[in-house]
Amino acid sequence: MWPRKCISAESSQDDLWGKLICTNFKVSFIPQDAPPKQSRLSHLLLGEHDVPLTCLEQVVTVNDTKGKKKVLGSNQKLKFNPTELILYCKDLRIIRFCFDEAGPESAKKVCLAIAHYSHPADLQLLFGFEYQGRRYHESKERINGSTPRGGLQTPIFDRPSDWDREIKRTGASEWRVCSINEGYAISQSLPEYIVVPVSLADQDLKQHSLSFTDQRIPLWCWNHQNGSALVRMANLSDPLQQRKTDQRFLAAITKSHPQRSEVFRSDLDKCLPNIQDIQNAFVKVRQSCVIDPFEESEERWLSSIENSRWLEYVRAFLKHSAEIVYHLDGKNSSVVLQEEEDRDLSCVVSSLVQLMLDPHYRSLIGFQSLVQKEWVMAGHRFLDRCNHLKKNDKEESPLFMLFLDCVWQIMNQYPAAFEFTEAYLTLLSDSMWIPLFSTFLFNSPKQRAQHLMDFAKNKAIPQGEDQVVYFPPVWNWSQQFSTKDQTLFNNPMYVGKGAACVQNGEVKTFRRTKKTYSSTLRGTSASVRNGMRGGEETLPRRGSLVSELRPDFSPVKDESPSERFFRDWFSRPADQQGLLIPLLMPSHMALWKLYFLRWVPEACIPRGGPITAYHKLSQLVDEIEILQSQLRQYKGPSPGSTPLPSPSGPPSDQRRMYFKAGSPNDPPTPPDFLTSSFPFTPVGNLCRRGIHGTPISKFLNEARIWLSTETLANDTV
Amino acid sequence: MSSDSVSTSTELSPELRVKPRTLAKQVLRDSDKEEPQLLPNETVQDMAQDVTYFCPFIGAMRGTVTVTNYRLFFKCMDRVSLPAFVLDLPLGVVSRVEKIGSASTRGDVSYGLVCKDMRNLRFAHKQMEDTLRKSIFEVLMKFAFPVSNGLQIFAFEYGQVFPENGWKVYDAVSEYKRQGIPNESWRITKVNDHYEVCDTYPSTLVVPVNIPEEELKRVAAFRAKGRIPVLSWIHPESQATVTRCSQPMVGVNGKRSKEDEKYLQAIMDANAQSHKLFIFDARPSVNAAANKMKGGGYESEDAYQNAELVFLDIHNIHVMRESLRKLKDVVYPNIEDSHWLSNLESTHWLEHIKLILAAALRIADKVESGKTSVVVHCSDGWDRTGQLTSLAMLMLDGYYRTIRGFEVLLEKEWLSFGHRFQLRIGHGDKNHTDADRSPVFIQFIDCVWQLTRQFPAAFEFNEYFLVTILDHLYSCLFGTFLCNSEQQRLKERTVSLWSYINSQLEEFTNPLYVNYSNHVLFPVVSLRHLELWVGYYIRWNPRMRPQEPVHQRYKELLAKRAELQKRVDELQREVTNRSASSSSERAGPVRQTACLGDTLC
Repeated sequence: MWPRKCISAESSQDDLWGKLICTNFKVSFIPQDAPPKQSRLSHLLLGEHDVPLTCLEQVVTVNDTKGKKKVLGSNQKLKFNPTELILYCKDLRIIRFCFDEAGPESAKKVCLAIAHYSHPADLQLLFGFEYQGRRYHESKERINGSTPRGGLQTPIFDRPSDWDREIKRTGASEWRVCSINEGYAISQSLPEYIVVPVSLADQDLKQHSLSFTDQRIPLWCWNHQNGSALVRMANLSDPLQQRKTDQRFLAAITKSHPQRSEVFRSDLDKCLPNIQDIQNAFVKVRQSCVIDPFEESEERWLSSIENSRWLEYVRAFLKHSAEIVYHLDGKNSSVVLQEEEDRDLSCVVSSLVQLMLDPHYRSLIGFQSLVQKEWVMAGHRFLDRCNHLKKNDKEESPLFMLFLDCVWQIMNQYPAAFEFTEAYLTLLSDSMWIPLFSTFLFNSPKQRAQHLMDFAKNKAIPQGEDQVVYFPPVWNWSQQFSTKDQTLFNNPMYVGKGAACVQNGEVKTFRRTKKTYSSTLRGTSASVRNGMRGGEETLPRRGSLVSELRPDFSPVKDESPSERFFRDWFSRPADQQGLLIPLLMPSHMALWKLYFLRWVPEACIPRGGPITAYHKLSQLVDEIEILQSQLRQYKGPSPGSTPLPSPSGPPSDQRRMYFKAGSPNDPPTPPDFLTSSFPFTPVGNLCRRGIHGTPISKFLNEARIWLSTETLANDTV
Repeated sequence: MSSDSVSTSTELSPELRVKPRTLAKQVLRDSDKEEPQLLPNETVQDMAQDVTYFCPFIGAMRGTVTVTNYRLFFKCMDRVSLPAFVLDLPLGVVSRVEKIGSASTRGDVSYGLVCKDMRNLRFAHKQMEDTLRKSIFEVLMKFAFPVSNGLQIFAFEYGQVFPENGWKVYDAVSEYKRQGIPNESWRITKVNDHYEVCDTYPSTLVVPVNIPEEELKRVAAFRAKGRIPVLSWIHPESQATVTRCSQPMVGVNGKRSKEDEKYLQAIMDANAQSHKLFIFDARPSVNAAANKMKGGGYESEDAYQNAELVFLDIHNIHVMRESLRKLKDVVYPNIEDSHWLSNLESTHWLEHIKLILAAALRIADKVESGKTSVVVHCSDGWDRTGQLTSLAMLMLDGYYRTIRGFEVLLEKEWLSFGHRFQLRIGHGDKNHTDADRSPVFIQFIDCVWQLTRQFPAAFEFNEYFLVTILDHLYSCLFGTFLCNSEQQRLKERTVSLWSYINSQLEEFTNPLYVNYSNHVLFPVVSLRHLELWVGYYIRWNPRMRPQEPVHQRYKELLAKRAELQKRVDELQREVTNRSASSSSERAGPVRQTACLGDTLC
């Protein structure tokens, strides 16, 4: 069959003709005359025109002449011959195919197949189970024997040693790894190994676990170097034991604090939007960004973004996390995050708090371990929240997406603080919709373990083989991208641990200046902005204004201690390797354009966007790395016979930057592929469509109504 | 001290920043004193102690106020800490001073200063016991509005000498020469040498070759204020041109001018690539039509063969003034916690920015992609017309995206073509309700900032450059933005802003700049990409401070590269020398430098 993929909303002249195929993994479009590759990024498993079935949000068929449209689910009938198929994707793409030249029967067939296979009846039917089994055996044949953990550097937190390292790294000497949940004996949703106060014995824990929802005893997340701990816990389910258990744990947490300071408890359900609110906000912001007609929605763009409440929620989570930071860092007290199940809002807040406080999590490996620790192992219901099986729409909520957006907001304000880029965050979000990685497929570590055990049995994988090897997490990025493409993850601006910084032409090394914070004030804005100016930053300045004001000149408004804490912090230059607090006025919250607008052709800035700055920075950093490599070669193993180093620097597969230093002879023309959507290409990925002038949004609403009548009609047949 | 105060002093005291290294120490030492460091010919007019400044962000504080013939200087005396809170603003930014009723129990009199740069300041001091003695704020009023008080604007007294004379940045003939003019179709005319054809135009004009001077005068008679169509820019390849003028004096009876029609035909004929001419009327069509009642109007397509008239729907100066006023309400002093975006939307500021940019993009696209010449006008051709021609030129010609090129663009399209800065800003004039005031130029700079956001590597200048220009739009320190026209501007008696800027280019340079050849900018003119320029409009709010600019990091990396390059070069030399002398001695320095290399890695 020869459908047409629509490329442009205005005309059909750029449309592609080709084959539309539905496999058990993806919807694949193979153009007849393969056009030059548009996308800069090649996915190793998916072609430019491929969509994984898990990535389909909605499958809509249309018959133009009859004026009919239908949203297709699993095992449904279609009573008209579709002239068009529109695929709404979870990664915000919208893809449209026309069947004007295709046989009506085959068109219907492929639409029904797509709809059917995108609604798998069972988790095991997701393609990952098929794929990883095959891959495991094939790679076994090739390399003959397993590499431990597939060379993966990211800790998975499925073994005590990962937790032990984390305890040591954060200096949490009053906390211990506990293995009472081994084999998931206590709780269905906790990981096998958890960290608890040293003062609580296993027996106590077992006994008290019964009082908590799903026996989720409080879970240690992180320790501040001042000794305060971040702990998350579920609500107490047993009203009789409630008080006693609660006090027992609070006492233990207090005891684990060097100053025994009072524990601050934050009930997240009371102060943050719930999962339904978040889902509704996301649906609305997506509607505004990719579905509403571009021109018509311009006039009310700002209020439509506001009305979606997405940015309001992003801000609420950041703000709440910053408050928690104040308690841990400013008030030196341990914090307990409480949520009914401790599996949704807590994941967002606890990981944001740690990102702000601990620079380790702003490195690539650190960030991945954070997601592993606070999301995957803490039992975030990825399966339900992603709605991979499309069974229960009520459970669907883009919490992880919300978290990524929050991370982006911090990154947007502190562009040198993260080792990774916004392209990495975007590709990570896209990976949620590729069902090949163990990371986003399960509701809990237990579910994961069970499924993978069954899987191993079915696929004849020897017992005792590491799950991470036979069903790898997303962190093994070479599953998806070449080494070269993975360099897009690297932020050229990153100021890593011990990285050099240059002030006034002199090279200095960044030091953690946490301890000296309180005695210095930030330099003038000019000195911060211009950076290179001497003198004034290094002068110590005493005190903050308010603290020294005489009482009769108290501020216009009363400042709370936390406001004071934030104002003090903002009055100093930010240390990229220290505490980072985002600015949180409403005017600071920005729409994450790369994520939300990358597929919208009208919003794509040709030869522009932040990528042009990234391009220039990458080239400079590449030059620096070539020079560093030359220096290392001079140092070489046999200094007596130092060969002249090659001017090209390290071999290209070891270079960290996506954009290589150009030769001075290169003509300075901006590369055409640099657009604000880079590394994505909006061309052909999206097609809004007004049917007889009706905006697509309205069309979809009608489609829902139509669906019910169709079902009725079927029933009567 | 608060960062609020520091930014005030550093951003508005350019003279202090000429030599930043020595400056830093001076500022600190000076902050022990109660007086500001004075500029050449700046004199203290009055001083008052025990004045309270009500900072909207930090709270009330008591200190000393000094008023000079150039500035207001407040220094907080509440504390001994270093450096003290300082407020340092040129009196030029003051739009009005209001005495606020002294209902206070303490018998304080309170004064509110409304500023042109998006902030209001409030002070109070004790009621004068000696009723003959004037309040310092009455003294301030005298010097804040010198024009209304028969005094001289400070720019005429300021005697700072800079290494470069900024008035020499723009020379009309050399700029036209850069564009390849004169050529076979265009010539430079001296018909306006003594501003007799048009007193709001520059003396050097470029017109079609085959139109004699006499005819130019007849065309001038048909165009409002004599502002005939003249060339602003010519495409180096297609020869398509951007020309600017004022509205034709069509009137209610639909008057025609054969000379004007012939003249526009000549503009079209000068471009062999196209047999069409686009006339872009910046106004909404309703406004253009309404102008007929006042003798103005627009070109009818019957009279002008092969010309297509397009209205660009940009509103007039009054609408823009109102929009900025609303914006100030939304952003100053505090931003409300909810409804930020809809409040911003209700000011329509970004919508106006969008319309202007969209119009400029259409013009640039017609010239670049359509290879068609365009004529741009509004009513008088000194507000919207200047915005559009200069923005289109910025998109079309990379030269204007350099620091010097941008200065040339401003000198040419704004200053020489008679944007009425004096009238629009009201320098030294106390009549703050004057309906001629309007933020036309701010809007233009905002549009430029939007372009720099979309193309961060395409401009040689940085955000600070744009903020500095806007600060000196009001400061009355330099002569650049004084007066209404080239004829009025007394260059010899004042210092040019470019003298100051070009003496410390480093401060204003965007390190990410790449000089791409033939790079025409096609911005996405959509609210999805337009942003409120927080670095300007919300800069007084200490919670709004930009955190870590990319530029700074880039500079650090540049320095690091230079350092490494030096090491590598040294080593290379050493290795070469060693192999030349074939010495068996092991080189100590190699080890040392290699170790340094490690710390840099």
